[in-house]
Amino acid sequence: MDKYVLPKDNLSKFVSEMIGKYKVFAPVNDNNVTLFKQIKNPKEINLEFTNSKVPPKNLLFCQTETLFKFTPGTKGKIHPVDFDNGGRTVFGIRPCDAKSLAILDRVFKGDFEDPYYLTKRKNTILVGLSCTQPCLNCFCTSFNDSPASPEFVDILLTDIGDKYFVEVNSDKGKQLVKTMNKLFKSATEADGKKKKEVEKKAKDIITRFQKIDGITEKLDKIFENPFWETVANKCLGCGTCTYLCPTCHCFDIQDETTMTDGGRVRIWDTCMISEYTLQASGYNPRPARMNRVRNRVYHKYNYYPKNFEVIACVGCGRCIDSCPVNIDIIDVVTRAGEVKP
Amino acid sequence: MVDEKQLRDAVKKTISRDDVKYVVGYEKGTSGFLVSPTFAFTPGDADKFIFSPLCVNNLAVYPMLEDKPPLRKGEEPDTRKIGLVVKGCDSRAIVQIIQEKGLKREDVVIIGIPCTGVIDPKKIKEKFPGQMKNVDVKEENEKFVITIDGKIHKISKDELLAEKCKHCEYPAPVLYDILIGKEIKSTKKEDYKEIEPLEKKSLEDKWDYWEKQFERCIRCYACRDACPLCYCKECMVDLLDPQWIRRSVNLSENTAWNLLRAFHLAGRCIGCGECERVCPMDLPLMKLNKKIEKDIKEMYDYTSGIDAEEKPLLAMFKPDDPEEFIL
Amino acid sequence: MKEKFEPNIIGFLCNWCSYAGADLAGTSRIQYPPNLKAIRVMCSGRVNPIFVINALQQGADGVLIGGCHPGDCHYERGNYLARRRMAVLKKLLEYTGIDPRRVRMTWVSASEGKKFAEVVKEVTEDIRELGPMQHFRRENKW
Repeated sequence: MDKYVLPKDNLSKFVSEMIGKYKVFAPVNDNNVTLFKQIKNPKEINLEFTNSKVPPKNLLFCQTETLFKFTPGTKGKIHPVDFDNGGRTVFGIRPCDAKSLAILDRVFKGDFEDPYYLTKRKNTILVGLSCTQPCLNCFCTSFNDSPASPEFVDILLTDIGDKYFVEVNSDKGKQLVKTMNKLFKSATEADGKKKKEVEKKAKDIITRFQKIDGITEKLDKIFENPFWETVANKCLGCGTCTYLCPTCHCFDIQDETTMTDGGRVRIWDTCMISEYTLQASGYNPRPARMNRVRNRVYHKYNYYPKNFEVIACVGCGRCIDSCPVNIDIIDVVTRAGEVKP
Repeated sequence: MVDEKQLRDAVKKTISRDDVKYVVGYEKGTSGFLVSPTFAFTPGDADKFIFSPLCVNNLAVYPMLEDKPPLRKGEEPDTRKIGLVVKGCDSRAIVQIIQEKGLKREDVVIIGIPCTGVIDPKKIKEKFPGQMKNVDVKEENEKFVITIDGKIHKISKDELLAEKCKHCEYPAPVLYDILIGKEIKSTKKEDYKEIEPLEKKSLEDKWDYWEKQFERCIRCYACRDACPLCYCKECMVDLLDPQWIRRSVNLSENTAWNLLRAFHLAGRCIGCGECERVCPMDLPLMKLNKKIEKDIKEMYDYTSGIDAEEKPLLAMFKPDDPEEFIL
Repeated sequence: MKEKFEPNIIGFLCNWCSYAGADLAGTSRIQYPPNLKAIRVMCSGRVNPIFVINALQQGADGVLIGGCHPGDCHYERGNYLARRRMAVLKKLLEYTGIDPRRVRMTWVSASEGKKFAEVVKEVTEDIRELGPMQHFRRENKW
C-alpha cells in the first residue's frame, strides 16, 4: 500500500483536478441535510459531517433507474438505454459505506450480472475519508472494522491535523495519485503513527457494541420465537430503515407509459410494507408487521451470511438514528442472541 | 412533572381488566435521548413505563396499526380494548378518529397526561451531540433539567421545546378515562406566526422554496405511516390501477404526493407533528399542515379533534360557505 | 417567429348542469375558445383533488370545474362539498407557489350557454397570460 500526505491547502486543488476529469460526488449541505451530490466546485463540499443522511449507494444503485425505453402497442419496440461510461469519483465516502458497496457487489455480480450497477461501479473511484467523530449509534467496530480502514476504498484520506494521511489501496487509486503527484508528498513514519493515533481515538469514541458471535446459527433456531412479536409491536412499517440502509438493495420494477412511449423503471422498494410481498391472488406470505421486521433482521444476519459469507450490516447506525420508534438493530440482535430457543 | 408511580398504577389497573388487550406507553430508549413506545401485556410490564419531556411520539397510531388477519371458521374476532397513554395532542387524534368512525369510543381506554410541552429530538441532539450514557431529563420551574453522566444542565424551555408545543392550545387531553395529575389550561394561542413569512412571499419565491424541499423527498412514506390519521386500508399512492402517482422519485411525483398527503389531512390534522419528526429528509411538512389548518379556521371556523360528535369538515357544508373564488 | 401559446385546459363538467350548459353553448352556436377539453363527471362532487393535481402533472395548464348552482345539485349536496374542497385546494396551491387562477370553479346551469362561453373565455385568457404550467409537469424522461 502506497502512503502519502496531502497538505490541507492542496485539498481543493486535488478536488478541482478530479472535477476536471471525472464526475465528482461529494457530501454537500442541502438545507441542513448532508447528501452526496455531484459538485462543480470544491467549495460546495461540506466536510463537517458525521455521515450523509442517504447512503452513497444511491450514486451506483439509483433510487429511480430506467432499464430500457419502449414504444407501446402492437408495433411496439424496445430501445436500450445508453450507459454512462464516464469516470466518476465519490469523494468523502466513509469506510463503512465503502464496505457496503463491497457487500452490494456480491448481489449485483451474482447469478445475474446487473449492468446498470456494475458499469457505474467499474468506473467509480472511491476517495474515502476516515471518520474521526463517529456518531452516537455507530458500531462498525462490532464487525472488526475500523472507522479509518482503507480496505474497501481506492484512496483513503485521514485528517491528522494540518494534513491528510493518504493511503492508496488499489490500482485505480494509484493511477489517480500518479496523474497529480505534484500535490502529494511521501509520508514519514511520524505521519503513519499519527494516523494510528487518530484511528485509535475514533475507535474509542464508539461505545455501542453488537454481539454477533454465532448469530447466524442462533437465528436458525428462533424463527418462530415470540421474541419477534415483542420487537415488532412498535414498528410503524414506514421503511425508513431500509431506504437509508447502505446495504439494502431491493427494488420494484414498473412500466411507465404515455400514449406514445414508455420506460421500464426500477425504483427502491422496502420489505417493511405489506405491498412488498402481496401477491396478485391477494395472498400475502408476510401478512403482519412481525413477519416483516423479522425478515429485515434475518436477511442481514442469516440469509446473507449463508449466501455470501458476510453479514449485510456495516454498522453505520443510520437505521437507529432515523427510526421513529427506536427499533434498535444493536439491541434487537444482541437480545436475539440471548433468547432461549 | 408527571407522577410516574401514579402512571404505572393506572397502567397496572388497566391491564388487569379482562377486557383490555394491552396498554401502549413510553419506556426509556436504547441510547442517548431516545424514548421508545412500549407495550404492557401483563401488570408486571407496567414497571418500565415512564413519562418525561422526551416522550414525543404520538401513540394514537397504534390502534390503527393492529394487524387483523382474516378469521378462521368459527373464530371470534378479538374485541378487547387497547389502552393508550396520551398527551393533549394525541388525545385529539383519537377524538378525530372516533369522529370519522375509524374507532369506537369503547375500543380504547385512554390514560391522559396533562402535558407541559415536549422536547424536539432534533434540537436536543444538536445541543448535545456525540456519545453519552445515563441520560435523564426532567422539567422543573419552566426549565428542562438534563442530566448526562451525573452532570446537570439547566436549559430554558423555549430553546428545546418542540415547535408544535409553542402554540399548543390543548395541553390536557380532551378525552380520557384516567387522568394522571391535574387538569391544566393553556395560556397559549395559535397565531400561525411561523407560516406567515412564507405566506407573504411572491408565488415564485414560494415555489423556489418548496421545489427545493420536495426535490429532496425520498418517498419512503414515513410521514404517512407515522400519522395517526393516515389509516386508509389502501393508500392512493399504493394503487396500481389507476396509478395516480408514479413510483419514480422526481420533482413532479414528489410534489403531487406531498400536496395530496397534506390535502388528505385537511380538517383532520391535529398538529401532533409526527410527520415532520419522522421525515428522514427533514422536510418542513408541518408548514403545509398548518397552512391548511389556518385556512379552514378562517373560512369555516373549524378545529379538528375536539368534538367526537361533530361531522368531519369536508363531509358537511353550510349554504353560506365562502365562494368568492367561483366564477 | 414565436408561436402564440395555446393553453391546455381540462374541464370537469357536471353531467346535469355544466355539461348541458356547454352543450347549449354549442347548439346555440356561441363562439368560445377551443382550449377547453371537457370531461363529463356525474357531479362536481365527484372531482377528487387528485384529478386536478394529476391533470396539472400530465400537461394541463389549467383546470376548470363546473357544477350546478348552489341548491340545484342533482344529488342535493355534491356541489357544496366540492366548493369546500376546492377552496382548501386553491389556497394550498397558492401557498406552494402555483397561481390559484390555474384551478377555477364555476356554477353553470343547463340554460346558461352564454355564461359557459364567457367563463371559458375568461379562464383561457387568464391562463394564456400566466403561460405554460411549468412547476411540476411530468417529464417522461426515461
